Amino acid sequence: MWKYVLKRLFWLIIISICVAILIFSIMWFVPGDPAQIMLAGTGTQAEIDALRDRLGLSDPYLVQLGRFLYNAFIRFDLGDSYVYKVPVIVELGHRFPRTLILGLLTMIISSGIGIPLGINAAMNRNKFQDQGVLVFSMIFISVPQFWIALEMMILFAVKLRWLPTSGIDSWKCWIMPVLSGALSGIAMNARQSRSAVLETIRADFVTTARAKGVREQKVIYKHMLPNALMPIINGLGNTVCTMVSGSVIIETVFAFPGVGTYMMSAIGGRDYPVVRGCVLMLAIFAAVVNLIVDLIYGYLDPRIKAQYVNYGSRGAGRKGASA
Amino acid sequence: MAENFLEIKDLVIEYTSDESVVHAVNGVSLSLKKGQTLGLVGETGAGKTTIAKSIMRILPDPPSRFVGGTITVDGTDIMSLHEREMLKIRGNKIAMIFQDPMTALNPLMPVGKQILEVVQLHNDFSYKEAVQHTCNMLEMVGIPAVRSVEYPHQFSGGMKQRIVIAMALACNPELLLADEPTTALDVTVQAQVLEMIKDLQKKLDTSMLLITHDLGVVAETCDEVAVIYAGQIMECGSKEDLFLRTAHPYTLGLFGSLPKLDDDSKRLSPIKGLPPDPTKEIVGCAFAPRCPRADEACRKCSIELTELSPGHLVRCIHSGKEES
Repeated sequence: MWKYVLKRLFWLIIISICVAILIFSIMWFVPGDPAQIMLAGTGTQAEIDALRDRLGLSDPYLVQLGRFLYNAFIRFDLGDSYVYKVPVIVELGHRFPRTLILGLLTMIISSGIGIPLGINAAMNRNKFQDQGVLVFSMIFISVPQFWIALEMMILFAVKLRWLPTSGIDSWKCWIMPVLSGALSGIAMNARQSRSAVLETIRADFVTTARAKGVREQKVIYKHMLPNALMPIINGLGNTVCTMVSGSVIIETVFAFPGVGTYMMSAIGGRDYPVVRGCVLMLAIFAAVVNLIVDLIYGYLDPRIKAQYVNYGSRGAGRKGASA
Repeated sequence: MAENFLEIKDLVIEYTSDESVVHAVNGVSLSLKKGQTLGLVGETGAGKTTIAKSIMRILPDPPSRFVGGTITVDGTDIMSLHEREMLKIRGNKIAMIFQDPMTALNPLMPVGKQILEVVQLHNDFSYKEAVQHTCNMLEMVGIPAVRSVEYPHQFSGGMKQRIVIAMALACNPELLLADEPTTALDVTVQAQVLEMIKDLQKKLDTSMLLITHDLGVVAETCDEVAVIYAGQIMECGSKEDLFLRTAHPYTLGLFGSLPKLDDDSKRLSPIKGLPPDPTKEIVGCAFAPRCPRADEACRKCSIELTELSPGHLVRCIHSGKEES
C-alpha cells in the first residue's frame, strides 16, 4: 500500500517537471515580448534591451529553461511577477485558497444536489421526477457557463440589485460564482448517478438481497447505492479538477481575485513567471486530488484495494528481476 | 393430494413493454410434495425463472404482472399475503439459489456478512450465535470459516455458488428454489454442487424446485419432472414416466438433442426452428410449428393436458395414439 503511494508521489514529481517544461516551451514559442509590452509606447529600444537583459530574456532557450526548472524544483521559487514585482509564490498563496474554496463549494453543491437528484430519477424511471431531471440536465450541460454567469449577473445584480457583481468583500459575492458553476455540475452529476443507479437497479445481487427477505429500503441503502456510487466516487477527482480549472472562466466573468483571473491577465501581458506558476500549481493540484481519490476508492472497493496490496509485491518482484 | 407442499394452479404472468405484452407463463399448474424434488425443464425463455421468482414474489412490477392463478405454499396463499408477511417468508421458509454465482453476490460486502444478514433477519440469535451459525453454514458447504471476511472476488465460481447455497440454506428453508444452480459451473464442480444440494436437502427435509435445461441433472436429482415450453407445461410426471415412457414430441426432441455414447449416429437431431414469439397469443399447440407430428388439428384448437397414466400428463393429441 505505502509502496503504491510512494510510487504515485514519485510519478507526481515527474509529471510536474514535464508540465513545467511544456508550459515553459509553449510560452517561449508564443510570439510577444514581455519587455516590449511592459514599456509599450514609453521606452526606447535601448531601454527595452536593458530590461530584457535584466529579466534574463536574452539568454538561449536551454539556459532559461534550466534556470526556471532549477529555481522551481530545487529552490521552490517561481520567480517574481514582471508586472506586479511580487513573488509568484506569495501571490498564489493568497489567491489559490480562494479558487480552491470556490471550486470545493461548487463541487459540494453540485454533488450534494446532483447525486440525490440522479438517484431519485433512476428510482422513478420514466416518471415525472425522471423526465424533469433529464430536461434540466440537458439544458445546463449544453448552455455554456459564462452565459449562465452573465444572465445571473443581469438578473440578480443589475435588475434586482440583490447581489454584488464582483469582488470578494462579503459572503454575498460568493453566491453567484458558486451557483453559476454548480448548475452545470448538478446537471452532470445527476446524469451520471442516474445511469449508475439504473445499471445496478436490476443487478443480480440486488435480487439476491430481496430474496433474503431484506426490506426494500435496506436493499437500496445497503446493497444497491454503495455499488452504484462507486463510479461516481471515481469520477469525483475529475470533477474537482474541472471545477477548479473551470473557475478560470467564472472568475473572469465575476472579476474574482483567484488563480484564474491572475493567470488570464498574465497571459495577456506575457508575464511568464505568473503563467508558469499558475499552470504548475493547477497541474500538481490535479495530480494530488486524483491520488487522494484513488486511495479513497481503493479503501471503499475491496477489488481495487486488492490490486494496491498486490501492486507492491509485484512491483518489487519486477524490480528485482531487472536489477 | 392434500399433502402437496407447493401447489401452483393456472399461473399466468405477463411482461408489459412499451407496446407489446409478453406472455411469459400461460396457465401453469405444478405440485410438489414435502421433501421431494421437482425438475422444471425447458429451453431458455420458456418461463422457468419467472415461475420461481413469482413463488418468491420478487418479480419486478412493472414490467411483470401477475394475471391469474394461485400459488399455495404449505397451505398459505402466497399471492394474497401482505408484503410485510412476505418479507418473513423470503429467505426463511422459501429460499432461492440463483443462476449466476458471479453476479449473485454483492461485490462490496464480505461473504460472511451477506450470509449473516439473512441469519439475523429470520432468527432471534444474539450476534455471537448468528456469527457462529454463519461459520457453520460455510463449513457445511466446504468453505473454511476463516474466509468469511473475504470478498466475493476472492473466491472461484464454484465456491461462490456454494456460498450462495449456504446463504439459501442458512435458515433451513422448507422450500428451495434452485434456478439452474449448476449452469455456470464446469462439469466437475457441477457434480460436487449437486451432490451437496442433495445431501443438504435430505438433512433438512427440504422440498426443492430444480430449474434446469440439463436432462442429466434431472435424471440424477429429481423425483418428478415438468417439461415447460412457451410458458405451458407440455408433459409432466415421475422421472421414470418422462425418461422411459416419453410421450410428448417436444420431450423426445430434448432427448434427441443430447449426445449419446452408445449411439453410432454422427449427428445430433436437434429440434428445428425457434420457440414461438412470446408476444403473440398462442393458437392451437404452441409446439406445432416445430413438431414432426403436427397436423391440421394441432394448429386449430388449444390442447389440454391429458392423463396417460396416473400422474403422467401430456399436452398432445397424438401421444395417446402413438402408444396404442
